[in-house]
Amino acid sequence: MNIVACVKQVPDTEALIKVKPDGSGIDEGGIKWVMNPYDEYGVEEALRLKEAKGGEVTIVSVGPARAMETIRTALAMGAEKGVHVSDPLLDNTDAYTTAAALAAVIKGLNPDIIFCGQRAIDDDSGQVGSILAAILGIPQVTIVTKLEMADGKIKAIKPIEGAQLVIESTLPCVITTQKGLNEPRYASLPGIMKAKKKPVDVKNAAALGIATEPKAKVAKMTPPPDRAPGKIIAGDDPAAKAAELVRLLREEAKVI
Amino acid sequence: MTHGGDILKVGNEGREVFWNAPFPTEPILFLFTAIVLAIAAYGVYLRWQMWTAIGKPEDRTDQPKERIRSLIINGLFQVRTFREYYAGIFHSLIFFGFFVLIFGAAVDATQFHIGLPFFHGKFYLWFSLLMEIFGLAVLAGVVMALVRRYVLKPDLLGYQGKPDNTFDDAVVLILIGAIIVTGFIIESLRIYVNYNLDGYTWEVWSFVGFALSHIYTGISYDSVRMAHKVMWWTHSFLTFAFIAYLPWSRLMHIITSPVNQYMKSLKPKGYLEPIRDFETAETFGVGKLEAFTWKQIFDSDACTRCGRCQDGCPAYLSKKPLSPKKLVQDIKTHWEDRVKIVLAARKLAKEKGGEPEIPPPDKALLGDVIDMHELWACTNCMYCMENCPVYVEHVPKIISMRQCKVLMDAEFSPELQLTYRNMENNSNPWGIGGHLRADWAKEIGVKTLAEDPNVEYLFYVGCSGSFDDRGKKVSVAFAKILKAAGVSFGILGTEEGCCGDSAMRGGNEYLYQSLAQANIELMNGYGVKKIICTCPHGYNALKKDYPHFGGNFEVYHHSEILADLIAGGRIRLKKAVSSLCTYHDSCFLGRYNDIYEQPRKVLSAVPGVRMVEMKRNLEKSFCCGAGGGRMWMEEDIGERINDMRTDQAIEAGAETIAVACPFCLTMMADGIKDRAMEEKMKSLDIAEIVWDAMDLEEAQAAPAAPSE
Repeated sequence: MNIVACVKQVPDTEALIKVKPDGSGIDEGGIKWVMNPYDEYGVEEALRLKEAKGGEVTIVSVGPARAMETIRTALAMGAEKGVHVSDPLLDNTDAYTTAAALAAVIKGLNPDIIFCGQRAIDDDSGQVGSILAAILGIPQVTIVTKLEMADGKIKAIKPIEGAQLVIESTLPCVITTQKGLNEPRYASLPGIMKAKKKPVDVKNAAALGIATEPKAKVAKMTPPPDRAPGKIIAGDDPAAKAAELVRLLREEAKVI
Repeated sequence: MTHGGDILKVGNEGREVFWNAPFPTEPILFLFTAIVLAIAAYGVYLRWQMWTAIGKPEDRTDQPKERIRSLIINGLFQVRTFREYYAGIFHSLIFFGFFVLIFGAAVDATQFHIGLPFFHGKFYLWFSLLMEIFGLAVLAGVVMALVRRYVLKPDLLGYQGKPDNTFDDAVVLILIGAIIVTGFIIESLRIYVNYNLDGYTWEVWSFVGFALSHIYTGISYDSVRMAHKVMWWTHSFLTFAFIAYLPWSRLMHIITSPVNQYMKSLKPKGYLEPIRDFETAETFGVGKLEAFTWKQIFDSDACTRCGRCQDGCPAYLSKKPLSPKKLVQDIKTHWEDRVKIVLAARKLAKEKGGEPEIPPPDKALLGDVIDMHELWACTNCMYCMENCPVYVEHVPKIISMRQCKVLMDAEFSPELQLTYRNMENNSNPWGIGGHLRADWAKEIGVKTLAEDPNVEYLFYVGCSGSFDDRGKKVSVAFAKILKAAGVSFGILGTEEGCCGDSAMRGGNEYLYQSLAQANIELMNGYGVKKIICTCPHGYNALKKDYPHFGGNFEVYHHSEILADLIAGGRIRLKKAVSSLCTYHDSCFLGRYNDIYEQPRKVLSAVPGVRMVEMKRNLEKSFCCGAGGGRMWMEEDIGERINDMRTDQAIEAGAETIAVACPFCLTMMADGIKDRAMEEKMKSLDIAEIVWDAMDLEEAQAAPAAPSE
């Protein structure tokens, strides 16, 4: 079975995010880059599927040169090979172009199943998996927390408000993965060492024959406004302070 | 058999060796001696084959002087056996008794064969008395041992309440007892004749035999002589049995214990051999018996099941499945089974030619022989190693097996996986953003080495001191003390990284080394010479393990620095801090680094502090439960170790549990909460107590003095 897991390199969840003064993006200095946590569930599920059914897991990532570390991380977990779409023209591109690049790579891999994280924690767009399925013209099941495969079909569970859906789909299909699907493994040391020697194809946009002009652009990035400082009601008389509190809640905060 | 008048003269007191044992007694004795020595030698040879059959090489023969010293102290003088008094006493009674009696027998034999010019008169009398006393000592020791094992039944001679006595335990004690008893009986029979018939009045010096000889009053001398012969042979054959039985029984420890004491680790306490070949090695850690070194295997054979290790093991006492004794004994049993198969296969291959076909073990070392709950329960507190009289090394075995589970199998608790990821991504176990590392220092204005590298000391704050709310207060207090004392110091700020101790002790040597190397590179880059740590885990790692990777620094713990500052009058403790205070020894400070005195000195110097010791203290101190990576793992079996330690502090009546380790601080604070004692007790770091007593909080701390 040919299994594909798509990964994106994102800043660590604890990293200090500073918006560049010109609002064109974030200042990448001092940032620790990690694999998008939702993608980790995808890689783990791909590996489990391979271990149960046999086959090969290919990691595909679109990103700058540093994204290679993330591909290696997935290879250390146990994937067989990787494809790295690396092209300055694709840096910080939109979801459509990313999906188009992924699709161009994946078409050639003849996959049975493709995993994507349900969204990336950096831009939170949550579109790549869906667009990828659309470009490839295959079904998709999004935000999956349980997956079974039998008789050439998959059965996936997707939680929705107050219920869960059990969705069956034919293969090939795209699965976008959600927390709860599995516990991603910790790479073993021999895995880390072997990963250094596993094959990773590096391709640029021209080689894939895709358009690099994004359809959507981040026009401006601004940090969230600073929160107004809290107010301390001064005074010695508790009754007067309570009255003032009520007045402020009513007139300024308008909550009562 | 009389000797005429000569021997009866004063100064001629003595006796005939082989009295009442005419020819061919002596040749028979020699024959049997040769036979039993051959049996014993064969037994030792078989064991030797087993010891040398498997295990990786390891050199334990360097520094012979130091090794002989260890052998004299703990082999000859039995020093460590006294860490448990009762057992120490009875073992010494038997050991020294036997030693002297064997020496006595040698004197007898020399007298018989060569003749000793001084073996008569006063020398003989004192010699007789000495033999009586030491004979009694052995007997008393045997009785004490029997009473302990079969009447008192202390928990350490078992596992989880069940004694682990073997048939052999009883055989050995009874055999030794019987040798001594028959010895006294033959002596009394001889004395009965010598004293009453031959007029050897000095036999009273052999007071035990003399007292016993009265039993035979009225029995004919011939009958007594006959009885003497029978008992003489009984005694001789019991002794033969002892020699022949030695290698097949726990008596083997007469050989293995001193050998293990000689082969003890001479490295700094808690030393772990780093993995050096990450790029080329195919396996890491110990996943099967053969991956241990020969010494690690020999250790398990040298273990006498005395249980001292178990007696203070926090995991065992808190009712977790780990017992260091059981772990070592399980390795031993596995080794005995396995090595027989290996030797048989090799023998077969030798006969038939070709390579030996060694079948895989039917039991996995990790999982079957050693349960994973055992493996992960260890807090690395090193109580077991510090109190083992024969220097069995438990902790390195545990860590090397953990290395296999983490590095090879990547099978370990999810909490610990998260901790390691946090250490990888943010260089701290909590996973808090690394950019927040120096926030604690913002308000008090501590300079980083990047701002001013010309300082005497680097204050290596560590993760607890940087990210944990309680730990941050300790860092602030200590930094303020240093400033007030005019000590020239700086911190690494956000450049600082995790020391890696929790990763190393949890088996993640790879992560540990990458963290250590990052710190070392940074410190060397700033030309750091002296370092102060407030966390004993960082202190131990920086001091003992960083030199492996090119980090050679003078490393101090803040308790040492505080003690020095107080002794040198550089800080003044003005304010009385009225509290009944107990000091909880951090394992990594006490047992790992022998720092017991300094924190106690610091506390004693604080006006108003009254000190009380908990029952378990110093080298027998009870762990808080957070070492060995346990800080980051769930504790879901048995009691909580920190609660047990808190109970010990409550029992001592303490109002303050003073600590010198941030892990201990957290654990004790949690214990106090669990026991609902927050109103009556608190846990404080010694730096916090000192800063409070300096009474400078209101006044602005004096600016740092210019660097020296």
